[in-house]
Amino acid sequence: MRKYFLIIVNMWDEIFTYRLSFAMWRLRNVFQLLTIYFLWASLIPKQSVLFGYSQSLMLTYVIGTSFLSAVILSTRTYEIGDNINSGNLSALLLKPINYFGYWFAKDIGDKLVNISFSLVELFLLFFLLRPPLFLQTDIVPLLFFIITICLGILLYFCIGSLLGMIGFWSPEVWAPRFIFFILIGFFAGILFPLDIFPKPIFNILQLLPFPYLLFFPLKVYLGQLSMPEILKGISISVIWIFSLTYIMVLVWRKGLRMYTAYGN
Amino acid sequence: MEIKKYIKLWWFFARMTTKVAFQSRFGAIVFLIGKLLRFVFFLIFLILLLTKTNVIAGYSFWQVIFFFATFNLLDTIPQLLWREVYRFRTYVARGFFDYILIKPVSPLFRSLFGGSDILDFSILLISVIFLVYAAGKIDITVFGVIGYLLLLVNALLISLSFHIFVLAMGILTTEVDNAIMLYRDLTQMGRLPVDIYLEPIRGFLTFVIPVGIMMTFPPKVMMGLLSGTMLIIAFLIGISLFLFSLFFWNYAMRRYASVSS
Repeated sequence: MRKYFLIIVNMWDEIFTYRLSFAMWRLRNVFQLLTIYFLWASLIPKQSVLFGYSQSLMLTYVIGTSFLSAVILSTRTYEIGDNINSGNLSALLLKPINYFGYWFAKDIGDKLVNISFSLVELFLLFFLLRPPLFLQTDIVPLLFFIITICLGILLYFCIGSLLGMIGFWSPEVWAPRFIFFILIGFFAGILFPLDIFPKPIFNILQLLPFPYLLFFPLKVYLGQLSMPEILKGISISVIWIFSLTYIMVLVWRKGLRMYTAYGN
Repeated sequence: MEIKKYIKLWWFFARMTTKVAFQSRFGAIVFLIGKLLRFVFFLIFLILLLTKTNVIAGYSFWQVIFFFATFNLLDTIPQLLWREVYRFRTYVARGFFDYILIKPVSPLFRSLFGGSDILDFSILLISVIFLVYAAGKIDITVFGVIGYLLLLVNALLISLSFHIFVLAMGILTTEVDNAIMLYRDLTQMGRLPVDIYLEPIRGFLTFVIPVGIMMTFPPKVMMGLLSGTMLIIAFLIGISLFLFSLFFWNYAMRRYASVSS
């Protein structure tokens, strides 16, 4: 376990090597949050309800997506494709370390840095904007909220790794990721909660893995789901995680047989 | 003669960049689909929103679409023309910028126009179609159209200034990628008219950043909703920013330290 712990620590050093770049990245996150925050604050005046959301619930949702993006969507798996294409994978294969364990540890390091900064930013914004936040006090939704976050982390890791492994077959690893970011932005519920869609579309979306990254955990936090709905959502997330893990292992084995390690 | 030479050069660079982009047709097509999806997704969001609210900040459905189409136009043209800025970090960090400096071409021109992305032309076309269609659905005047076109040029001048600022910052710090994306994130606030934001955010977005002048003022003048004073302020800010960006670029160039050795 110590070696994975060291990878996590090294991730901090790696991020802070390019401090200005990281600061700009965080600044971007703040502006992205503010864009959506002010948009919804203007669209739903106090005492009004739109799409079944009061201003308080919507702004909690918006701030929640920002925080959960730091927890769930911050990742280093986007480097897997370059790692394969550059031939650096060979060096990792020779080390007594699990390849996915290595990337998961890097993910944890990245998440810890992003969570720390996100908390500070949200704390500052809270004091500047004084948003009417909804605070969940019931322990049951809070427990399920933590469970759904953990599932979201695993789900995103599987999807990110699979996208990275495109590198075994194509040097073009950024284009699929670009389209994936756009899909995530829309179908994970970053711009708006997905239940504002008409019911039939929303029902179809619930079968995809994307809503379980941000939308579902936040709905659990807001206490807007019944117990059967929570259990249904958790079941779908677990099915997706198992299916994607299985596919990930298959793709990894197939990819390794294709790997030619040029560049080293 | 100089202008003719630079137009020829731009065309040459654009053709070369397109050839490079199409070396991986898969990548080029996927990027294109991604951009189309981004456009369509936000359009869906607007339609969903307007089915419930009918108006946003007092603007009707087609007026909102016109704002969004203008945003897309002003978001796409800089990406089409000044895509090279996104690659500038590598040039400075690896010392390739030295090769640009020794060529008999303005390094600013080369750094801005050296890799125009013709693929964005399709997105531009869609924006123009939406723009013309939405314009047909709202009340416009000839003066409005002239003012709109002038303010579009002014918005592009502001955008160009930001791109030059990013290049200069790249020379001084090698930080380009997040800086240019930060500019993109800020301009996203102009996808809808800045009137939807409350004060002091609206004032900040209009005069400090100035996303409002870029994205909201052109449609507003078209709809006859912008005063003459605001029009003059918009041009003054545009020209001042451009002059200041050139000054900053020259300042940065004097401090460029090559890393190629």
